[in-house]
Amino acid sequence: MAPRRGTTRRRFLKSTGLALAGLGLPRAIGAATADLKLKKPIKIGCQTILSGPLGGYGEFMRKGATLAMEEINAQGGIGGSPIEISFRDEELKVDVGVKNARYFVEDWGADFLIGIDSSAVALAVGEIMPSLNRILIVTHGATEKYNEDLVFKRHVRQCFRVCVPVYQDGIASALVAKDLPVKRWATISPDYEYGHTSWRMFRAYLKRFKPDVEFVGESFAKFGTVDFSSHISKVMGLSPEGIFSTEWGGEAVTMVKQAKLFKVFEQTKAFMIGMGAAMDVLQGLGADYPDGVWASGRYYFGYPDSAENKRFNEAFRKRWDTYPSYPSETAYTAVQALKKAVEKARSVETEKVIEALEGLELDRPAGKCVIRKEDHQAVYAVPWGQIRHDPKFPMPTLTNLKVFTTDEYYRKPPFAPVEG
Amino acid sequence: MRARLAAGAVLAVVVLLVPAIAGPFLRYLVLNMLLLALLALSFNLLFGMTGLLSFGQGAFYAGGAYSAALLLRAGVPLLWSILLGALAAAALAAVLGAFCVRHTRIYFSMLTLAFGMLVYAVVWKWTAVTGGDDGLIGIPRARIGLPGPLDFSLDSPARYYLFAAVLVLLSMAVLHRLSASPLGLALRAIRENAERAEFSGVPVRRTIYIAFVTAGLFAGLSGALLAPLEQTVSPSTAHWTKSAEPVMATLIGGPLSFLGPILGAVVYLGLKEIIVRFTEYWLLVFGLVLLAMVLVFRGGLVGAASRLRMPRRRT
Repeated sequence: MAPRRGTTRRRFLKSTGLALAGLGLPRAIGAATADLKLKKPIKIGCQTILSGPLGGYGEFMRKGATLAMEEINAQGGIGGSPIEISFRDEELKVDVGVKNARYFVEDWGADFLIGIDSSAVALAVGEIMPSLNRILIVTHGATEKYNEDLVFKRHVRQCFRVCVPVYQDGIASALVAKDLPVKRWATISPDYEYGHTSWRMFRAYLKRFKPDVEFVGESFAKFGTVDFSSHISKVMGLSPEGIFSTEWGGEAVTMVKQAKLFKVFEQTKAFMIGMGAAMDVLQGLGADYPDGVWASGRYYFGYPDSAENKRFNEAFRKRWDTYPSYPSETAYTAVQALKKAVEKARSVETEKVIEALEGLELDRPAGKCVIRKEDHQAVYAVPWGQIRHDPKFPMPTLTNLKVFTTDEYYRKPPFAPVEG
Repeated sequence: MRARLAAGAVLAVVVLLVPAIAGPFLRYLVLNMLLLALLALSFNLLFGMTGLLSFGQGAFYAGGAYSAALLLRAGVPLLWSILLGALAAAALAAVLGAFCVRHTRIYFSMLTLAFGMLVYAVVWKWTAVTGGDDGLIGIPRARIGLPGPLDFSLDSPARYYLFAAVLVLLSMAVLHRLSASPLGLALRAIRENAERAEFSGVPVRRTIYIAFVTAGLFAGLSGALLAPLEQTVSPSTAHWTKSAEPVMATLIGGPLSFLGPILGAVVYLGLKEIIVRFTEYWLLVFGLVLLAMVLVFRGGLVGAASRLRMPRRRT
């Protein structure tokens, strides 16, 4: 199997490389990097959710990682070595994630690992990285325990993350909410770590910014919920003025559609969805997405207005014929960060690349970013914005973007416990 | 009988030789197969032998895994954590079994499924103890906990493999002995005709109860051995999809022979591992292959093999 795959991929890369060069993309005609005499090829194992109702997330992640690989290989690879990425289904299951990581390193010979959607899987795989002695760059799992506990408190140095953690959902959201004319908040959120933590942070920080708010109710829906009516009626019975939600993917789509039937958007003054600006939610709801809903993500294709972001959007659309979703950007950035770090370290050795990644500055599509040395977390700002329907785009987009400095909303070492 | 002993010896030698000949990933995969084989054997004590389809083995598997994980994190030596983990699972089975064995057939299956998901819900919600959906992380592979010079560390994966493999092989020997014991015969009698067994003096409900608790014990041992292997335990160990794995392994291998679940576990995990390397749409391919196997090999692989042998014997 392996040789056959290799040749097709090589052939395929050659043709895309030529195509990119022919199209005159500035990156593709950049000078090839000097040969650092590293091992060939440099192997990156990527695991993400590729099956089930959230499989679309993994598809977007794969597209982003693949684009980065093609661009890098067209320029001569990392220090003269081409990269090869292998994908495996994470299934959002801890045991599967751990097994994949072991397979990648011990059998396939991966030099680096990237990916992972579930927070629980990110923590579990992070746990075994010292024994595998490879670097893991998480591109989606968002629990703050990953950078705050695993890296900062327990010094698991092999773990990095290039996507914004729940600070986006729990703290930046509070910065938006403090200026809204809403005093009574309630939540409909997923019944696992991500949902609970986001709501806890949101309450703690909003209370700090605006002491007279009230949190009147909460309803947590278990994973795989298809009928939100009981959650909606429970929360609406408490007559909140604003609803905060961290439902995501297909569940966010279902929830919004059902909330419309209950006239929730007429009865409340604000509705916020942490992952509401993810491409699958925007495309999934389409015309059904009510105007004015506050939404965010880990990257929004329309921000920032930079040359790098424009180039990324164009390259992505040319290659895949769709707008990039946030896992595409984070996976793309993970691969690019590895390239930069390996070239800086002039080595693929774990210890040397860790040192190169610490404090690394990146000009990524989502903006300028730095990988914090203390907790190995990439620090960059993602906007919140309101849904609007712009005929120029095939899906709803964001308007009235609120961007906060990372200083305002990223928790900092030594990470005092979140009260409340 | 001699042939069986030889088969057992060959299995044991192969299993114990794995660290010497295989790479780290294959070693890890084989240990996973052994743990699933043990779980499937525990399940088959109820299914193949007694005729009761349990959909709740995951509850005891998770019970063993979480108990062992909590003990290890509290600094208890490895061997004792694992044995106590298995005993905790048996205790859980003793409680739940008291309800489950009151019914048979589909009612038994539904009860085990319901209790299994109850355990799952507890594991999911009781964040303070179980870590909720993040599970328990940072489980140490501590010292084994035997006195004096025998107290070595199992931190190296190869050593842990040998330790776990020996425990699994011993359990298999015990379960094999059990299937040929009077208890095993009584269970088969219940499977064939519970009423008749009752009239011949077999205390049906009590016998099933003993089988249920024993199955819980060995499922718990399998789960307890998982905790130090993965160094994390997550709620998916208690989910019904986990309970379905021993069912699949047993159906593939064949529920009516002792070897069936072991063979089934090897084929189930081996096939999955191979298919995943070829395609990202592995679920589809895997499902089709399993479907074909269940349809073509009725009575499982072992059943099909013995049918192939049968006609030759007759002539």
